[in-house]
Amino acid sequence: MQVYTTDTPAARSGRIKVGIADYAVSGDESTLTTSGLGSCIGVALYDPETGVSGLAHAMLPEADDGSEPAKFVDTGIELLLSEMRAAGADIDRVVAKIAGGSTMFDFTSADGDGSIGDRNVAATRTTLDGFGIDVVAEDVGGSHGRSLELDSQTGDLRVRSAKSGNHVL
Amino acid sequence: MNLDVRSLRTFSRLAHSGAEKAAGSLTTLAGIDTYVNVTKVELGTKADVENEFAERDLVSVHIGFSGGLDGHTVLAFSPESAERLVDALMPGINATDAEGELAESSLKEVANIMLGGFIDGWADYLDTTVDITTPTYVDDENDGPLDHVDAEGFENGGDDEHVLVFRNQLEAADNAIEFDLYMVPTASSIGTIVEASGEDGALPVESFAAFSEMINDGANQASEDITAMTGIDTTVEVSRLSFVPIEGVPMSLTDAVRRGVVLEFSGTPSGYIAILFDEPSAENIASSLLPGMEGDEAMRQSAIQEIGNITTSGFLDGWANALETTIDISPPKHVHDIGSAIIDPLATDLAQSQEYAFLIDSTIRTDDDEFTCDIYALPDETELRKALRKLSPAA
Repeated sequence: MQVYTTDTPAARSGRIKVGIADYAVSGDESTLTTSGLGSCIGVALYDPETGVSGLAHAMLPEADDGSEPAKFVDTGIELLLSEMRAAGADIDRVVAKIAGGSTMFDFTSADGDGSIGDRNVAATRTTLDGFGIDVVAEDVGGSHGRSLELDSQTGDLRVRSAKSGNHVL
Repeated sequence: MNLDVRSLRTFSRLAHSGAEKAAGSLTTLAGIDTYVNVTKVELGTKADVENEFAERDLVSVHIGFSGGLDGHTVLAFSPESAERLVDALMPGINATDAEGELAESSLKEVANIMLGGFIDGWADYLDTTVDITTPTYVDDENDGPLDHVDAEGFENGGDDEHVLVFRNQLEAADNAIEFDLYMVPTASSIGTIVEASGEDGALPVESFAAFSEMINDGANQASEDITAMTGIDTTVEVSRLSFVPIEGVPMSLTDAVRRGVVLEFSGTPSGYIAILFDEPSAENIASSLLPGMEGDEAMRQSAIQEIGNITTSGFLDGWANALETTIDISPPKHVHDIGSAIIDPLATDLAQSQEYAFLIDSTIRTDDDEFTCDIYALPDETELRKALRKLSPAA
């Protein structure tokens, strides 16, 4: 029974769309895009030497056993890195740019640990640090949404927001 | 016939993997990247589904299936997307002129390959064989978009026949081509799939239909209240209950900028509501509530909050009555942001405790499309199940 497969067809055009709880790797000139980051976090990884890059869009900080790995920051980054390694990236050279993790609403469900957005940012730093990966640029927190485009050739991360327009990390 | 969350999950996974196979075959056939955006299991009246086809002027190809499973599949495109797809398949052929017949047959061919692949997965899961009919092309000139879909639905004591629709939103070539892959099984085939996936803690399908009717009533009340308050004559275009993987909730919206309000409701059920307008509609609301005034941003925000309050009360009051409970709502918070990013924190909050969500979405608009208001409600799954139990015929 092949009920759980999620194989995405190989990309032929220049853009690869990364959904929510999803990630993708590019070893060529593609642009990786993801949209609608609220409290979710976007993690863009880039190996400047080989041009292998990856983008993950995670919803929550830490995975429980048996949960869908791409949904979580810790397991999502781990998966993304192993796929980048398979595509020829050297983890020692990989740098990170991160965006998202905002706190748009004060929900009654938020407990003492802070908002999901803040927890996602913290989990991202911890996970990347564990792999020895530096965060070279970031646009995190605040109370607004973001959409991202990662140019896999240059490692430029374009951040679009409704309020502050576009800028490049 | 009973439905439970586990069988809905099975449905959702089957539909999603079927749609991915279908997308993969289009990628191979046409050389254009095709992705499955969201897979939804929708419950609505037949009239709702027909309305949606009619409103969007969809071009569609229908293929029936029978054997171990009976029903219909439909591949539906906007006319523009159909044209772009034909162009990608056969560059230089114009879908609108005398070569239309060729365009039609190429769309039928695409549908044959995609829908055939989609259905195969279901047949494998049920360990049965399913035969498919030859494709029928239906354009927007046609009166009854579901004429070819003779899948009988199920009734809830009333006149409205309900159907369970598996709807997959696909997109290709950087959003230039968007289309929907629908599957509408007959009521007895739904029974077959439910049986295969178990019925633990299942609820009668009628309680889902009763809930769907309650949503309809709420949307109609909200529409009347908007009209009474603004003088803008609105109607409910669509209103439905769907079952979606939680990450698919924000993905049902585009990244177009929306304005509106978000609030929490608490009771049985509790959850979140977002009332979103596109920017021109938000302007229309503000100016109809502030006639002859050059309102500043603060005044416009409070006008939007006010209409958000009215719409939410209209939408939810009927629920409280039908469920014999009280539902409290929080003060509305004004939002002005990327649409999918507005919904993202709501879905993420629920994602801490559930993998799938019941998404309620209603669209209220004027006939000329000058004003559109989308209502999204995301109830907590466990509490919604309690609410559904209350609506069971046996309760």
